[in-house]
Amino acid sequence: MSEIDRIHWPRRPISRRRMLRGMAGASAAAAFGPLLAACGGATTTPSPTSAPATPAGSAPGSSEPTPTATPEPTPVPAPEGELYVYNWADYIGEDTIARFQDQTGIRVTYDFFDSAETQNAKIATGNSGYDVSFPTSTYVKGFVERKLIQPLDLSLIPNVVNLGAEWQDPGYDPGNAHSMPYMWWTTGVAYDTAKIGETLTSWSALWDERWSGKLAMLDDMREAFAAALIRLGFSANSTSDDELDQALALLQEQKPLLRTYTTDDIGVLSSGDVWVAHAWGADVYQVQAERDTVVYYIPEEGGIRGSDTMVLLAGAQHPIAAHAFINFMLDAEVAAANTNYIGYMGPNAAARAFIDPAILDDPTVNPDRSAIEKLQEILDLGADEQKFSDRWTRLRAGG
Amino acid sequence: MGGHRFRDAALFAPGLSWLLVFFLAPLAVIFVVSLATRDQFGGVVFEGFGFHNYRRALEPDFLPTVVNSLKYASATTVLSIAIAYPVAYWISRYGGRHKALLIVLVMLPFWTSFVIRTYAWMIILRDNGVVNSVLAAFGASEPVQLLNTDLAVILGMTYGFLPFAILPLYVSIDRLDPALVQAARDLYASGRAAFLHVTLPLTMPGIIAAAILTFIPSIGDFVTPDLLGGAQTTTIAKIVQTLFMSSRDWPYGAALGFLLIVVTIAGTLAGLRFLRQEVIG
Repeated sequence: MSEIDRIHWPRRPISRRRMLRGMAGASAAAAFGPLLAACGGATTTPSPTSAPATPAGSAPGSSEPTPTATPEPTPVPAPEGELYVYNWADYIGEDTIARFQDQTGIRVTYDFFDSAETQNAKIATGNSGYDVSFPTSTYVKGFVERKLIQPLDLSLIPNVVNLGAEWQDPGYDPGNAHSMPYMWWTTGVAYDTAKIGETLTSWSALWDERWSGKLAMLDDMREAFAAALIRLGFSANSTSDDELDQALALLQEQKPLLRTYTTDDIGVLSSGDVWVAHAWGADVYQVQAERDTVVYYIPEEGGIRGSDTMVLLAGAQHPIAAHAFINFMLDAEVAAANTNYIGYMGPNAAARAFIDPAILDDPTVNPDRSAIEKLQEILDLGADEQKFSDRWTRLRAGG
Repeated sequence: MGGHRFRDAALFAPGLSWLLVFFLAPLAVIFVVSLATRDQFGGVVFEGFGFHNYRRALEPDFLPTVVNSLKYASATTVLSIAIAYPVAYWISRYGGRHKALLIVLVMLPFWTSFVIRTYAWMIILRDNGVVNSVLAAFGASEPVQLLNTDLAVILGMTYGFLPFAILPLYVSIDRLDPALVQAARDLYASGRAAFLHVTLPLTMPGIIAAAILTFIPSIGDFVTPDLLGGAQTTTIAKIVQTLFMSSRDWPYGAALGFLLIVVTIAGTLAGLRFLRQEVIG
């Protein structure tokens, strides 16, 4: 089983963080280094510019314990002394946990996983021993229905006001009642401008016979169907048999042109094996470090927005500390430090002031407003997921 | 007599319990799950217990995948034996005091994970990989596509399962008394005739073992077709893996997996029987 886990890491765990390491001391380190240092420094000297956010410890409803007695008592219960957090590998700011511990005195045990399957298996036990985890938004609905996660007490998370308007009521979890968004990314198309002499803008590029054998699709059932459904003008979450059959026919028409279905979009693009690929935007940033002629776009027909969330697990032994942690993660400066380190955009509007301009200016991780408005979320369709898996199996198995 | 029977049963017990715990019990679990239904969250529920997943599994859509699987496994088996036989023969006859070392060298790749070694092949076979870099140095203008082809899958599997062919062949060749070959030569058999009529038939059990030990893992291998193969090289094992891991449709995956196991066992038994009758007599 461990071998399966190792080859099937889904979208993110590596991303820009590894790229930074890979470029060892070169330009990236020079550019990001001072910034990271600046963010780190913010713990000791609170920045005066962080006014709109809630500067550490000063928020009225903040649940952070104050070892030095607070002047007025708050109705907030005191957090437990410990917290167990379960996250993707390499998916948090370098000193975020240390800062949280320093600020709150809560001792954090931080473990990580490298595949959604591993995480799901652990959460599904219902008593994993962890308090907080970071599932992909698609799983939230199922976890709620199976009572594997608890509703959040928003009064303990005052920093929720920092979320951008489009994250106040996401489709996967109305009103953020059971989850807080953590990071997001997009799915679109990447291509090598050294090989493709024209500007591509549509999903149809992935069906273009001129590049037969140099095309790749993501080996991800819902993402692949989303590409076909959106190209046909349907919802990525369609459950109509007729629409899904049309999407299947489109994907079957495409299959002979493809070199491969893969989740290693970074590998196929940076090696030049593939010229046009269905890809995750955050991955393309990493490709560009090796092959700077590769560009990324969200197709004009629309693309996919994926996201990860923070949830309070059922059976959590330290719920108050967990709320304190989630609130801390939504602090503008903390959220910005996370983004600056891992290279994913967060949903935190207040954090933008502290995010590295190089990230904000990069359309692969931070697409412009007009593109964002055309993004759809992939939702858990419950029993109707089988309509996708039957067709996906037929597509992959068929000749 | 009773004592003997008890002793025989005791000797048999470890092997039998191993078979029971690690083969039959999981097989029974797979079978039971294959009769169940996927619930809306990807769990397994025992409602509508029946053979509906087998009906889904017997669609003609799966035929190309089955053909792919058989093609890769057969090619891998034939290639492995063709390469392994001379290697095993050479180690046995000319290995001298280095025999043990040579056998360790054959097994050395097992010290590294199969997945990692398959990734190494990806680096070798890529368009900008080792092979194409060499070709480019000799003036090739366009890279030759090696990765994501049938060839890459067969190469990867043969590489991966070759030791499983070398070891049984070595044992069987090493056990062959050289005096028998000498006797054939004394009776005016040519080298070729002595090999064909003495060495080959006497090492046939080794060849059969090697064939089984390479065919079975290659038909169940999904790592190689996944990493070295492409859009057109899907195997049945890869479909099973997809159903379990990403579609989270365990009952359907279990039905396909169970069919694959049954067909493999039946095929192996039939093959063994045929060979025993035809070859060993």
